[in-house]
Amino acid sequence: MSSRPSDERTSFIAFARRHVFVTLFGIVVPVALFACFIGYPIVYTIYLSFFEWNGMAATKTFVGVANYVYMAGDNYFYISLINNLKWLAVSLAFPVVLGFLIAYAMRVRAVYFPTLLRTAIFFPVTMSLVAVGLMFLLILNPIFGAFDSLLRALGLGFLIHEWFGDYHIAIYTLAVVGGWAFTGLPMIFYFAGIGDVPKETFDAARIEGAGHLRMMLKVALPQLRPVTAVVVMLTLFESLKAFDLIAVMTKGAPFGRTDVLGYLVYLESFWNSRFGYGATVSVAILVLSIAIAALLLGKVFRGAFDV
Amino acid sequence: MSSRAVVQGRGRALRRLRYAAPRILATLLAFLLAAVWLGPLALIVITSIKPNKEFLNGPFALPIAPTLEPYQKVWEGLNFGALMQNSLLYATTGSALAVSLALVPAFALSRFDPPGKKYIFALLLTGLMLPQQTVLIPLYDMLRWLHLLDTRIGLIVVHGVYGMPSQIVILRGFMTTIPREIEKAAEIEGATDFQIFYKVILPLSLPGIIVGYTLNFIAIWKEFVFALVFLNSEANFPVTVGMLKLNSDRYISAFNLPSAGLVISQIPIAILFILAYRRISSGNFIGSVKG
Repeated sequence: MSSRPSDERTSFIAFARRHVFVTLFGIVVPVALFACFIGYPIVYTIYLSFFEWNGMAATKTFVGVANYVYMAGDNYFYISLINNLKWLAVSLAFPVVLGFLIAYAMRVRAVYFPTLLRTAIFFPVTMSLVAVGLMFLLILNPIFGAFDSLLRALGLGFLIHEWFGDYHIAIYTLAVVGGWAFTGLPMIFYFAGIGDVPKETFDAARIEGAGHLRMMLKVALPQLRPVTAVVVMLTLFESLKAFDLIAVMTKGAPFGRTDVLGYLVYLESFWNSRFGYGATVSVAILVLSIAIAALLLGKVFRGAFDV
Repeated sequence: MSSRAVVQGRGRALRRLRYAAPRILATLLAFLLAAVWLGPLALIVITSIKPNKEFLNGPFALPIAPTLEPYQKVWEGLNFGALMQNSLLYATTGSALAVSLALVPAFALSRFDPPGKKYIFALLLTGLMLPQQTVLIPLYDMLRWLHLLDTRIGLIVVHGVYGMPSQIVILRGFMTTIPREIEKAAEIEGATDFQIFYKVILPLSLPGIIVGYTLNFIAIWKEFVFALVFLNSEANFPVTVGMLKLNSDRYISAFNLPSAGLVISQIPIAILFILAYRRISSGNFIGSVKG
C-alpha cells in the first residue's frame, strides 16, 4: 500500500468532488461489482475450504485444515496438478512457439499468401471448445477416425495409439487439441507486436547479414518482451483453467488420468457434493496461479510492463 | 540476342530463383500448416453431408449423394432452434451489459489520473486472469441466494460482470488513441465530464465499441463452465451445453449427425468472423493490452 495513505485519501476525495460522474460510474461502480462478483467469491472460497458442506444443508461443519490434509494425501489431486503442468508445458512448446514463428514469417514476408495461413489458424480461436472437443473425438476415433487412416495411408501406422484410451498419452492428446484451438491467439499477439517494431531495425540487421534465426532471437524477441509476457501469462491461465475439453472428451477417463484441477473442483463440488473440498482445490488453483504469475512478472519479465 | 545477353538473362533468372526458393519452400510449409488447421474443419463439413451408408468408403471419401438430412435430424433432435435463441440472447445482452459497464471506467482510466489508479489496474488484471473454477462455488451459492440460479437473467449478469474487465482494457486502449486536443475545445467552453464523455468520446469510440462487443459476443457464445454449472433446465441451455448431447451413443455412432451439429453451432460465429475479420485478426485491439 501507499506510504502515506491519508494523503492519498484526501486527494481521492478532492478528485471525487471535482469529477463526480467519473468517480461514481468509472471507479465506484466497477470496484463495487468487482468486490461483489470477484472479490467476495475469492474470500468465500477460502472460507469454505475450512468447512465440510454438501452444498444444500443450512449448516456447514467447521473442520479446520482437514480438507487441506486430505488434499495432501489425495492421489487425484496430484494427478490433476501434474496434468495441469503437462498442459502448460505443451501449450508453451506448441502454440506459443509456433504462433511466434508464423507471425514472424508473415511479418518479414517469408511466405506467400500470408493471409490464408493467418485466417486458418485464427479461426479456431472463435470456436467453442465443446465444438473443438467433439470434432477431435470424431477425427481421433480409433475405428472410423480420419487421423488414424491418414497415418496408415502415409505408412506411419506404427505411430497409431489409443489417443484417449492410453493413459500415458491421453492428457497430451487433450493438450495438443487445446493447442490447436489456441495457437491463433499467441500468433495474433506476436503479429501485432512485430508490426510495432520499427521496420528499420529488421532492415539494419538484414544488411549486416543476419539470418532469420539471428533476426528472431537477437532482434525480434528482445523487442517483444512485453508481448511475450502477456502471451505467457495468457497461456499460463489458459492451462490452469483447462476444463471444457476434458468435460467433453474424456470426463477424466481413463481412471481419472486426465483429470485437471479445474475438473476436480467441478467433480468434487457438483457431483460428489463435497463443496468444502472443492473449495480447497480452488484455493490450490488460486495459489498456484498467483505464485507462477508472481514468479513470471517478478523474475522472468521484470520491468516488461510499466502501467 | 547475343549469347552474352542470354547468359546474363539466365543469371538474373537464377538469382531471382535463389531469392524466391526459400520463400517457395516456406510457403509450402505454410500450406501444410494451413492444412493441419483447415483439414479437420473441412472433414467435418464433408462428413456432415454424407448419408449413413457412405461411411464404409472411409473418412476422406467425398460424398456421392450429399444430403442435408443429418442437419434436419440433429436440428430437431437437439432442439437447436431453442439453443440458438438462448445463446443469441446471452451473447447479445451479456456483451451489451459488459460494454456498458466498461465505458465510463475506460473513459476514467484513459482521460484522468485518479489516485489509486495502480490498484484499479491490479483489480482489472485479477478479473481478467482469474480461473473461473475458483469462483464457481461462491457464485453458485450467491445466485441461489438471489433466486437467480437456473435463470437466464442470472447467467446474463454473470457474463456481463465477467466480461467487464477485458472490455475496460480494450476500450481504454482505444480511447487513449483519441487525441486530447479534440476535447480541449469542449473543456474550454465549460463542458462537464459527462458532456465530454457523451458528446465527444462516446461517438469517437464507436469502432472500439464494435470490436469489444464482437469479441465479447464470441467469448459468451463459446462459454461453457458458467452455463454448465448455473443452469439446470434444458429450456435455458445455450448451444455449448445443449450440444453435449451429441456425445451420447444416440448421435456419436453416426458421424454425420455430430458433424452437422458442430457446423450448426459454429454458423453464427462464422458469419461474425467473416464480417469482423479485418478488425479482429489484424490484432489491432491488442495494442490496448500492452499498457
